[in-house]
Formats: sequence, C-alpha cells, structure tokens
Amino acid sequence: MTLVNAVLGGLVTGLLYPFRTLPPIVGLLVVSFLTAIAMLVVFRATSNQDRIAAVKRSIHAGLFEIRLFNDDLRQILRSQIDILRHNLTYLRLSLVPMVWMIVPLLLVIAQLQFHYGYRGLEPEHAVLVKVQFDADVPAPRNISLEAPEGMRVETQVAWIPTLREAAWRVVAEAPGDYELSVHVDGRTFTKAVRTSDAVIPRSPVKLAPGFVNQLLYPAEAPLPADSGLASIELTYPEREISLLGWETHWLVAFFILSIVIAFALRNRFGVVL
Amino acid sequence: MLTTPKKTTFASAALCILVMVTTMGLMAAGCGAGDAAGTRVIVLGFDGMDYEFTRQMIERGRMPAFARLAASGGFDLLETTVPPQSPVAWSTFMTGLDPGGHGIFDFIHRDPETMLPYLSTTETAEGGTSLTVGNYQFPLLGGSVELLRGGEPFWNVLADRGIESTIIRMPANYPPSGSATRELSGMGTPDLIGTYGTFSFYTSDVLIASRDIPSAEVHFVEPEDGVVQTTILGPDNPFLVETEKVTSQFTLYLDPERDVAKLVAGDEERVLEVGEWTDWVPVDFELLPLQSLRGMVRLYLRQIEPNLQLYVTPTNIDPIAPALPISTPDSYAADLAEATGRFYTQGMPEETRGLQEAIFSRAEFMEQSRLAGGDVRAQYQLVLDQFDDGLLFYYFGNLDQTSHMLFRTTDPGHPEYDAETDPEYLEAVEGLYLTMDEIVAETLDAIDASGQETTLIVMSDHGFTSWRRAFHLNGWLRDNGYLRPHNARMENDPGFLTNIDWAQTRAYGLGLNGLYVNLRGRERQGIVAPEARDALMTEIADKLLAVVDPATGQLAITKVYRREEVYASGGYDHLAPDLVVGYAKGTRCSSESSTGAVPRGEVIIDNLDPWSGDHCMDHEAVPGILLTNKPLQRAAASLEDLAGAILAEFGVDEFPRPSEED
Repeated sequence: MTLVNAVLGGLVTGLLYPFRTLPPIVGLLVVSFLTAIAMLVVFRATSNQDRIAAVKRSIHAGLFEIRLFNDDLRQILRSQIDILRHNLTYLRLSLVPMVWMIVPLLLVIAQLQFHYGYRGLEPEHAVLVKVQFDADVPAPRNISLEAPEGMRVETQVAWIPTLREAAWRVVAEAPGDYELSVHVDGRTFTKAVRTSDAVIPRSPVKLAPGFVNQLLYPAEAPLPADSGLASIELTYPEREISLLGWETHWLVAFFILSIVIAFALRNRFGVVL
Repeated sequence: MLTTPKKTTFASAALCILVMVTTMGLMAAGCGAGDAAGTRVIVLGFDGMDYEFTRQMIERGRMPAFARLAASGGFDLLETTVPPQSPVAWSTFMTGLDPGGHGIFDFIHRDPETMLPYLSTTETAEGGTSLTVGNYQFPLLGGSVELLRGGEPFWNVLADRGIESTIIRMPANYPPSGSATRELSGMGTPDLIGTYGTFSFYTSDVLIASRDIPSAEVHFVEPEDGVVQTTILGPDNPFLVETEKVTSQFTLYLDPERDVAKLVAGDEERVLEVGEWTDWVPVDFELLPLQSLRGMVRLYLRQIEPNLQLYVTPTNIDPIAPALPISTPDSYAADLAEATGRFYTQGMPEETRGLQEAIFSRAEFMEQSRLAGGDVRAQYQLVLDQFDDGLLFYYFGNLDQTSHMLFRTTDPGHPEYDAETDPEYLEAVEGLYLTMDEIVAETLDAIDASGQETTLIVMSDHGFTSWRRAFHLNGWLRDNGYLRPHNARMENDPGFLTNIDWAQTRAYGLGLNGLYVNLRGRERQGIVAPEARDALMTEIADKLLAVVDPATGQLAITKVYRREEVYASGGYDHLAPDLVVGYAKGTRCSSESSTGAVPRGEVIIDNLDPWSGDHCMDHEAVPGILLTNKPLQRAAASLEDLAGAILAEFGVDEFPRPSEED
C-alpha cells in the first residue's frame, strides 16, 4: 500500500505542481476535467450502452404518457410505476461501471483530500499537537516536543493518562515547511508541518503502519512499527473552495464539476449516461 | 419602408425623454446629498473620559495627539446629561433629545403597574401561540427583541440623504437601528442567556462553590482521575413545555504535575497552562436533535492545585453565526469576525464583577480588560482602513469599565487607597488614556494619508471621579419616614423593591439617581394623592440638599432636580423618576439602594467595593470632553447639541427633526 501511495501521490502532486500557487479551484478544475474523461471512458467500456439507451427511452415514454393522458388518473399511476421500474433498471445498469470506478476514485479522492482538504497553518495561529500511545505500552517516562526555528511550542506537555495522550499547543511564526520532533524515552519521531497556503499535500495525522491507515491517510509515511505510538496528530484548519462565489467543501465542488463536465462531453465521447 | 424611420425617430425621441427624465430624477434625488458629497466625519466616542484628568495629562505632555487636536480645533468640556449615566447620555447624544424625549432615564426602570424593575434599553418578547406535542412546543410566531429607546438616531437623516454611515458599538442601540449603512451593536447587547453578562466559575473549592455570586454561575466540580466533565448553562429551551435550560458539555483533562490542561468542547480542543486564556471557543446548545444555538466562550485556567479554579466568560453571541441581531446588515458582524477574528459581542465585556467578587485579582482583571479592549482596537484599524466617506462613529468602552475598578488609584483620599500597590495601577489608568491618545494619533495619520478633508470629533459621554462614599437613599427615606420596609431587620435585603411595604411608603429610590413618589393612580399601590406630589417632592428635595456627610462635614447631595425642570415631555412621564438626585462629587448612591434594597445601619458609609470610581453624581461634577481637529460649523456645548453639530458638517440645518405630532 505504501508503494501504491508513493506512486499515486507522486502522480497527483506532479499533476498539481503547476497550479500549486494558483487559486485552488484552478487545479481542481483540471483534476475534475481529467476525472470526467476517465469516468466517461470507463463508463463506455464497462456498461451496457444499448440497454441503458433502451431504458432511458422507456423512461421518456413514461413521461410522455403522463403528459398525454393527464386526465386519466389510472394511466398516470401506471406510467409512474413504469418510470420507477425503469429507473431501478437504470441504476442496476449503472452499478457495473460504478464498481469499476469506485476503487481508483477512492484512491484519488484520498490523495486530493490532502491537497484540498486543509489550509496551511496561519502564522501566530495556535494549533494542537497530540501524540496517542498504544494501549499496551507503558506510560512514557520522558516526553517532549521540539520545534524547529520558525515554530514554537507554547505550553508544557499535558499528559492525559485516561486518554493515553500527550498534547501541546504550537504556533508557526512564519510561513514554511517544518518538521516537529517528538522525543519519547530516548527515541525521536517526526511530523511534517506545512504553513504555506499553496496547494500541496499536508497530512493532519501520521499513523502506525496498516493497510486501512495507509489507504485513508496516504500523504505521510507511517510511524515505525515498533514506536509504541498510535498516531501523531496536528489540527490543520479545514479549507473551503470558492465555486462561483459559493464557499463549499472541495469534495462537493469536485463532484459538481466532474459531473457537469462529464455530461457536457458525453456526446463527444459517444457515451449514453 | 416609410414607416420604419418614423418608428425609429419616435423611439429615439422617447428614449431621449426617458433619459432626461431619469437624469433629472436622479439629480433631484441626489440634491440632498449634493452639498455633503465627499464629506467625511469621524467621531470617536471614549466612554468615561474625564475632562480634568485629560487636561492634566495633556498639560504634562503625555497625550501629544490630543494636544495636537486641542491646538487645531479646541478642547472643551462637554456638558453631560441628568443623570450622567452611559445609556442615558449616549441616547441623548444620538437623538439630540433629553431623557424625556428618548425615554431612557437610568440603567433600570420599574413598571409602575407591577413594581418590578427591568433593564431600561431593551425588552425581549417570547413567541406567541405554540403548537404543543407531548413534552415539546413549537412557537408559531418567533420572539422578538425590542429597543425601548425612543427618538430618532441622527444617522437616519444621513440615510435619507444617501450618505453612508458606519456606527460601531453605539450604546443603547441594541438591536441595531437598521438605518445605518453598517452597524454593530454595543452596550446593551446581552449575552446568549439574555443578561448583561453572566460568567461561569468551576471549582473544587467548597468554600468558593458555596458562595452566592451575583451575575455568575458557580459550579462545584470534582475531578475524577484528572478529568472534569461539566456543562455551560445556556438559555431556557423554547421548545420544551417544562422550563429547562439548555446546556453545552465540555471536558477538562488536568495535568496537575505540570499545571496544564486540555479542554474538549464539541469538536474544539485547546491546551492551556495555569494563568492562560483560550481564544474564543464556539459552543453549541442543542435545542432539538437537529436544531442548536451557537455561542462562544473564552476560558481562563486560574489554578489546578490545590483546587481547580476555571473561569468561563459569559456565553457571547457568536458574530460568525449570530443567534440574535447584532449588526446591519446581518452579515456585517461575520465580515468583521472573519477579518480580525471572533470578538466580544456582549455590550460591556470587562469582567468587573469578577474583580468585585475576588474571582480575579487586579492583575487578572487588567489582563481580561486588555483582551476585551484589544478586540475593539483591532477592529477599529480595519473599520478605519475601510472608511471612505460619510460618517464613521466608533465607540470605546474599555476606559470607562476599567476606570470603575481602578480610579481609586488616582485618589489617596479614597478609603481603600493602598499606598503600596495602587501607584502601580495608577500607571495602568494613565496607560488607558495613552492608548486613547494612540488611537487618535492613528486616526490623524489615516486622515493625513487619505489626503481628504475630514472632520475628527473626539468626545466622551461623561467624566469620572473617585467614589469615596456610598449613600443609602432608601435607608435615608426610611429614617426620614418616607419609606417603610416589610422587615426592617432583614440582613440581606434581596432588593428589587421586594422589601417595601407599599401601603406605608410615600417615596422610594431605584436606579443610581432616581427617586420616585409612590403616586396613587400611577403606582400599583400608590398612596400619595396627585395633588400632594408637589409638596412632597419639595419637602424631600429640601431635606436631601441639607444632608451633611458626618465623615467629611460636606454636603452629600448638591443637586435635586424635578423631572419637570430638566426633561421635556416625550410621552415617558410614567417612567421618569420624580426627582433626580445629584450626589456631591465623590458620593454615589449605594449599590444596594440602586437595586431597590433598603439597607440597615448608617445612611452614608465608606465605599469599600473594588468598584472605586464612578460618575453617577451631580452632572456638573463629571463633564465629558470635546475635541475637534478644526472648528465645527455649529458649536456644541452639551451632548444634546452634538448630533446637530455633526449633521451641520453635512449641511443639515435642523436636528432633531420635528415629529409628525409637532
């Protein structure tokens, strides 16, 4: 999984590299465009286009019946039932390409989340760093957080035995890319911190190794397997994307753009959606 | 073919006429603003800035920006209102009317039909009929918040002329008037539970937890394994048939070894050390499963060991998602918050009660006051940068509230003056004046940088002085046979006029300067015949003016005004006090008497309260200030004149405007 993440992460970061300093919507538009094309290609290759076309014609026929026999209540009900039945068929036919698309789409979305889901830390804006310990390791005797130049740790460690968690408040003093060092009983673990607002990958959490952890949090290499830590977490502020003046979650913008573009290009690609 | 040119010609002619008519219409509509186009006036309102203190600071060369103003436009005292209280004074400033015209006579009024006191500036009405389903009720009509101040704010005139106005934190303007281009409400804006500020205090100290602290919710909490799970109390849930307060849960994880703690409130997490404040933490109060009320608080971790002490600010209305109307347009509060961060929205944010009740030390109070003042100042920079033309009014209340708590440091004759520690805090009071000077300097710099002709007016609503002696007005009325308590031996009279035997009471005091006759036909249980009112008032006024403070040998009261002498009749006669008591400089109505209690013992006592400075005295003893960067087109000697003088800068001749009845 680490290899897949490294390859995919490199591809997405490389693709977005030219757009990293532009407004986030620009890169997202490009990604949505490419995703729409990929979806159309997969949809055409994996779906039964003839059946879909036939079902859509049947739905249109049902709608036409309702309009034509609008004074016949029984006929309207019959047509509505037919439309519902054809809609279910349409959904069943769409299921096959969906199954083909869902895994690659999930991997891409996981990568995009770390580019578009979070803003960089704002200078002088305090955030929390939390280190979660595994349940089966003893409480640490010595634990500290070291900040590089350009960042500062504002508080003592708060050790919370009931949560098996250590927490600090940190502040970035200036924009930049940093690495925090967590020292636990003689060992050191690091966590990347990004404060610029460019569209670059930033991960709010560094996790212990594991397939699911790497699937959902691919932007940062996992902690060593023998670290005794479950995670190192840093609370990045969430980012909203401006879509024609409407501030929304990037995923909403991504789906709207991908679907609109796919519908716009469906005839050019000869796809019945 | 022949008809087409004719049609074109006709259409062209019609279009020309339309353009001409429209242009003339626009010119006519704009002619009111014609003279004022491009006029810029900035008014800085410094609540409680004292004339004498300011004069001395200027003379000592400590306020160079004020000195520059004094040299260019003049520095005068500004006559304040009767009585010199902030809601009264600011209402007069904005309407150009005396209290008889706007109906605000004190912080609190009483309803003569119920004899219950209430806050004078706003009234919150609950929704009307409700649909009840089991334990739930669904109001069919929403509740409302009504501004009780009468009269017309002067920026209405500007709005009618198409001139922009930005009115920030004007006291007694909650909910906002809606007529300014941009408004943010100020003093009078409640917290989320509808009070002027009720803080919460969480402690494992039994002695503190057992205290009954006014304007506070004190919670006894016991950490279990270093964890405290508790709640912040919100308002009553309007959707429940049975009255029940909504709550917002939070958890505090304590690390006593390092004096640090982690707070978790909903999705929000903070780490703070002992002696630190959090930033604003949004808190949600669930009303129904999918319906919640958003507020925000700041927390101060006072100590963890030997016992926990955690202060939580009153739950403020969150400007990013305001639960109540606090700005015009509605989005303006959010715009400000997004630019400069969340800020105190409660009208009087300085936690004076915390210091009075020893929840805060003076240093802690000063820190909290600095935070509150910092919000206001940061926003001023933004608003000043955005100001283009028209009117900008900006209010600063930090000086007033802090002076209330620290003014004894200016007065070695104050009964609580501490020669060891007070000089340090005298510097803090002077520091506040220096901050106001910096604000004026920044404003002058911005005016210079704009290159545009701008009138700058710096004013205050009243002055300030040391409050040495407290006068139990209701105690004096009792001793002189005008008032009879139900229980003369009650140790802690709860106040609110509840311990008064109305059948044997001819006069009573309520508010900081008000004295009312228990008048038959007006008060619910009035016993004084209307024809006897005049003689009774004369008798009481004469006796009050003869009261000598035994500790000083000086008169305790220097003025007693009849309302007919000082107030025009604007339809609020039933609310106005019959007599307004002007205490001598240094003496003020006691806090107990002002809330309607009848204190036992001596009538005039030393003021030992940390609230050591005040202004609710003879109005001639506490004038405000007026400075301008150039002579005004129309002079203003009093607060009542100032709105007219501001409008005169925009070419407006008459204010207040005659009402329809006039």
